[in-house]
Amino acid sequence: MTRPIVLALVGLFAPAAAALLLAVAPALRRRGTPAAALTILGSVASFGAALLLLADRLHGGPAALATVPWLRSGDSVIAEIGVCADGVSASMLVVVTLVALCVQVFSLGYMHDEQPPSFGRYFTYHALFLFSMNVLVLAPNLLQLFGGWELVGVTSYLLIGFYFRKPSAARAAVKAFWVTKFADMGLLFGLFVLFAATGSFRWDAHLAPAVATAVTLLFFLAVVGKSAQFPLHVWLPDAMEGPTPVSALLHAATMVAAGVFLIVRANPLFEQSETTRNVMLIVGAGTALFAACLALVQSDIKKVLAYSTCSQLGYMVAALGAGSMMGGFFHLTTHAFFKALLFLAAGSAIHAVHSNEIDDMGGLAKRMPWTGAAFVIGALALAGIPGFSGFFSKDLVLEAVEHRLGHVPWIALLGTAFLTAFYMGRVVVVAFFGAPSGEKAAHAHEAGWSMRGPLVVLAALSLLGGAFTAPFARLHGEPYALHLGVGPVLAAALALGGFALAYRVYGADRRAAPAVLEGLSKVARSRAVNRFYEFGFHRVALVVSSGLAWTDRYLVDGLINMIGYETLEGGRRARPLQTGLAPDYVLAVVLGVVGLAAWAVAQ
Amino acid sequence: MNDHLLSLIVAAPALAALVVMFLPDGARQAIRWVSLLGASVSLLGSIYALATYDSARAGLQRVEDYPIVPSMGVHLRLAQDGWGGPLLLLTGVIIFAGVLASWTVSKRDKEYFVLLLVLVSGVLGVFVSQDLLIFFLFYEVAVLPMYLLIGIWGASHAVPAKGPFQAAWKAFAVGDKQYAAMKLTLMLLVGSAAIMAAIFVLYLQAGATSFDLAHLAATSYDRDTQIIVFPLIWLGFGTLAGVFPFHTWSPDGHASAPTAVSMLHAGVLMKLGAFGVMRVGMVLLPEGTHFWVPVVGAVAAVNILYGALCAMSQTDLKYIVAYSSVSHMGVVMLGAATLTPAGWDGAVFQMVAHGIMTGLFFALVGIVYERAHTRAIAKMGGFATVMPGVAVFFTLACLSSLGLPGTAGFVSEFVVFLAAWRSGHLIWTIAGVLGAFITAIYVLRATRAIFWGPGPSDDFHELSDARRTEWGALIILGTSLVALGVWPRLLLDPIDVGTLTHLARLVPGVVR
Repeated sequence: MTRPIVLALVGLFAPAAAALLLAVAPALRRRGTPAAALTILGSVASFGAALLLLADRLHGGPAALATVPWLRSGDSVIAEIGVCADGVSASMLVVVTLVALCVQVFSLGYMHDEQPPSFGRYFTYHALFLFSMNVLVLAPNLLQLFGGWELVGVTSYLLIGFYFRKPSAARAAVKAFWVTKFADMGLLFGLFVLFAATGSFRWDAHLAPAVATAVTLLFFLAVVGKSAQFPLHVWLPDAMEGPTPVSALLHAATMVAAGVFLIVRANPLFEQSETTRNVMLIVGAGTALFAACLALVQSDIKKVLAYSTCSQLGYMVAALGAGSMMGGFFHLTTHAFFKALLFLAAGSAIHAVHSNEIDDMGGLAKRMPWTGAAFVIGALALAGIPGFSGFFSKDLVLEAVEHRLGHVPWIALLGTAFLTAFYMGRVVVVAFFGAPSGEKAAHAHEAGWSMRGPLVVLAALSLLGGAFTAPFARLHGEPYALHLGVGPVLAAALALGGFALAYRVYGADRRAAPAVLEGLSKVARSRAVNRFYEFGFHRVALVVSSGLAWTDRYLVDGLINMIGYETLEGGRRARPLQTGLAPDYVLAVVLGVVGLAAWAVAQ
Repeated sequence: MNDHLLSLIVAAPALAALVVMFLPDGARQAIRWVSLLGASVSLLGSIYALATYDSARAGLQRVEDYPIVPSMGVHLRLAQDGWGGPLLLLTGVIIFAGVLASWTVSKRDKEYFVLLLVLVSGVLGVFVSQDLLIFFLFYEVAVLPMYLLIGIWGASHAVPAKGPFQAAWKAFAVGDKQYAAMKLTLMLLVGSAAIMAAIFVLYLQAGATSFDLAHLAATSYDRDTQIIVFPLIWLGFGTLAGVFPFHTWSPDGHASAPTAVSMLHAGVLMKLGAFGVMRVGMVLLPEGTHFWVPVVGAVAAVNILYGALCAMSQTDLKYIVAYSSVSHMGVVMLGAATLTPAGWDGAVFQMVAHGIMTGLFFALVGIVYERAHTRAIAKMGGFATVMPGVAVFFTLACLSSLGLPGTAGFVSEFVVFLAAWRSGHLIWTIAGVLGAFITAIYVLRATRAIFWGPGPSDDFHELSDARRTEWGALIILGTSLVALGVWPRLLLDPIDVGTLTHLARLVPGVVR
């Protein structure tokens, strides 16, 4: 086994070992703290291995692949499992394990008030999640990627429903699973089509144009579900019912980005279909703009960030649609850092004021300087202010999209950049500056170092992430040079304008939304897309289902009952034939003899 | 090599039953331990049999042959092929867990365990019989004890009379446990009658000298005979496999049956049906199979989708699981209908995967029912607070049921659907995948309704987590589900050996 393979296996199995141990040793899990220690230990090992792996790759080490046959039938191997240690998986692995580690350490403080058994359960889920995510990231083929894909879906379900006693959390968990599972059928059928065409689940196959379009469009359906693109984005805002660190890790930085990662991974397939890429461009840019509009009118800080995540994932999808793997993938990376940072900072604020509503906060920057600074850095990075990491990645995206489809997606994304700065400016101004809105906000104070430490790490990465651009490009073998054209200048100007406008509208303690946004607020409250699905489920699926259940009970089974019943009735009707009187039987015998004789004569 | 292992595996539960019969009535512990011992011998024996099966040599191994009626060519001929090991193992696991789950049965416990063990001997016998008549006898031994087990130890509920056929309702007391037992037995016996007719046709056409399956398989029957006989076997055995529209004994039967009986019935008995269709119907009648297979596959697709849709609006927990069995058995039949190595591998793997999964489900349902005294999921809620362990295993069963990678359910569904798609049956595959999606809807709805939400209401006083023997049942079943999901080749490799031997008769191109 070569060094990269060993490292990848350590990265994969360290969290698996933690999860397995906690699963089979309930005593350990229920004590809480040991569970946290084990999980974090697993993540540290995994992160260390990931760093070494990435260093190897950056120094030009060879890509490595190790697989074992997993499904065999007849004389052919259907599928293999194993690890693939190349540039894509190494850089993604670092992002995933690093953010996971930060979030887990943050959770030590954030989840401190939980009972030990539920604290232990929380960390067990985290270990399971990291393992599942690594299965996905290190997958040597699309089947294993699908396996990890489904597993992270389940851990997402478990973590959204972590507060399972709360009905809204229970509903949100199930909804997230259903929506993504629905979309996953696309991935499944895509795998079927791919396998029927090539006999394998490799992502570097050459396909006929029609097959390539079919496969990638089917894959893209799954991406739309997982990465919360319109119109399957509905589960992500609801998923905010989960604990905030979970939102940071799964529903902002890593799991929702799995969809984007799939496109990056299967880039050789996506390259073969211009149709799919155009669809991606349209869906991505549309979602970016649409979700940013909805983010403008949310009052729950986590909902703002959730819609913002949809919106940023739209950027990535659009970049990949425009053919820039580098742009999509690098934005995924920087987004993972600054969005996780924003969520954790928001979590820290929520932890202090015990409310998600930005109107219940106010002036937090003064009382919680670490959190305030972290949130502001995150907001600036997200908005793409020059110098921050988000600027560099967004620039790559915008550059890639600029000349596609008559500049329309480009304009949409520029507009989104402006809106992004505006809604982030609003949260910063309302929640972190001005006067505290109440007792809780006035007495908010910073939490311990377990919560502050991760903020510092992520803030540093959000601030300086731009420095990774060149190495990142080298890793993926793409040329990169920062150029100052009209695009970046325009984007930066729009971002600054957004902040300025937000300050103008919401500064000086004005909390009410301006009248312009009233209409938008109404649209957001109408939940039109949600209502469409609810109609489909309650009025169509459940009606068909109960109709069939009735049919089964009263027609199909009814008919069988009826056959039994009629048999009994037939017997009852035939019973009078048995009179018990000798003359009747003699008569029957005589008739029989005569009949037989007649038949014999006729012959 | 002849170690008489197969005789031991098959006979152990029956011998245990014999011992239990002579125990005094009050010997509660002895009855249970002897039963568990019988089950353990079968379980350990089947593990050993599976591990020592020589895949390289393939074919029939551990052949034991005892002439019963030499003049007619009836032999008690036991042997293990590639499929035998995994299916014996499934049965061993289920009966072992089933005995553990039955630990608390108090009503006429001696008779209960005797019947349960006799039934299992029948099941085990079917999986290794190489003589068609003996195969059929074992089959009947497996089916008939159900009548008493449900009729005596079952539970009744009311089903309101509605629809065009309500005249029958009043006569039958639909929903009653005796009704369920009677319906199940009669429907399966009608199926048996069809099978018996088919057996005699095959026996006579093959020269009336032997019931040996190898001999029967070596005979070529004329095309018309095959086309007439195949549906008899398909529907005869298929009734037990829950083939639409002859599945309706299943929801009522499973809903009325006591815990371990449901486990065995959905877990292994329904597999006998599917096994019979493949092992007898398809292998002996290649031309009949090729003629009918479009119908078999289409009906299987209906099973998957129809079963899942029916399950979605059930309000009784046992009915949900029962309809999900109807749906999942469709996957077995769908795999069989592809007539490809992968499809058959998947079908047999699904027998095992579904058997374990549904065994786990019914064990959990039994635990919940025993404590909540209701099966109406609308009345439940928040049970995870007081029975966290049960909630975990229930979730695991759900995840395998909806085909989550890493659980056994994924392997079989994926392989079967892939095989169906690859052999050009796009509609079947779409129906199957949709069925799996609908499964995700109804199982997670049920989980949420039962276990999630605010703590249980005051109506439930006796809720508690699983107890000692119950843990045993849950752990052995849950671990098997995950182990097979993570490393399916444990069973898939031997299954494949069996598949290739059997399928070679239908599809000449398939050679090892």
